[in-house]
Amino acid sequence: MDDRDRAAGQPPPAPAAGTNEEDGRLVPQMTASPDTARQDDLRFEAEALPYIDDVYRFALSLTRDPADADDVVQETFLRAYRSWRTFQPGSDARRWLFTITRNVFLRSRERERRHVDLEDGDLEALSSFAAATDQGRDGSDQILSRIDLAPALRRALNDLDEPFKSAVVLVDLEDQSYEAASEILGVPIGTVRSRLFRGRRILQEKLMTYARDAGFTTAQRGQRGSKDD
Amino acid sequence: MTECKGDIDCRGAVQKLWDYLDDELTPERMDEVRRHLERCGDCLPHHEYGRVFLAALASARQTDARAPDALRRRVMDSLRAAGFST
Repeated sequence: MDDRDRAAGQPPPAPAAGTNEEDGRLVPQMTASPDTARQDDLRFEAEALPYIDDVYRFALSLTRDPADADDVVQETFLRAYRSWRTFQPGSDARRWLFTITRNVFLRSRERERRHVDLEDGDLEALSSFAAATDQGRDGSDQILSRIDLAPALRRALNDLDEPFKSAVVLVDLEDQSYEAASEILGVPIGTVRSRLFRGRRILQEKLMTYARDAGFTTAQRGQRGSKDD
Repeated sequence: MTECKGDIDCRGAVQKLWDYLDDELTPERMDEVRRHLERCGDCLPHHEYGRVFLAALASARQTDARAPDALRRRVMDSLRAAGFST
């Protein structure tokens, strides 16, 4: 299942009734009857709890720490449960849970809110591929297809700062569309683009540093007989 | 290089390259970028670079990362304490 495919036609999860809650949505104030509460619990078990692995993976990518991720997951599901009657049946529970996860994470890391957003995604895209061009001059671009980058990328992702990391994780690892990421992060799509493209550029730079440290680019230059040799 | 009317130039293509690779452009814009890449030897390597990079990034996803059993129990305990009854 690819969220990019469905995102365009997928309405955001809409609240059913009530006041506010941690995810910025509405929560009912009325008291549910025992039967209704039981039905809600069954729905929560069937529609929300199956995403615990997804939420855990997202939380782990945000916190970088298993113990912190556990705390975020527990709080996420607790808040989700308390707000469950605001969740509209048929909407995207995974996206809704990611929104809460992100908010729980930010609450625990208030410093993350201090970042100033860059709004020009087009400029970030140009910078990203301009860097690639520079790397191409010393053969570094070919490293991407020559070595197993996954371990280096995981390490680079762990080191990537917010708010860039959330954008990269949501779009590139969790297959969320720009629109879905915008909804989860609570920012305009243009901001998602700029964060995403900047995050990708930082990762590219880290990869090239990794490659140079590992001697790949030196070897590449040697094979090409660079005049710098 | 001759530009057809309505087609984008290299700068425009590169500006839209991430969106293109993410399949986030309108069909018309997707076609514009695709046509440009088909005939531009300067921009095609950028496309290949971005494509390989995104594939590597997607492969970094730890699909085997599962919530530990202890966490599952902890979540269920906290839910039950909040009234969850199943």
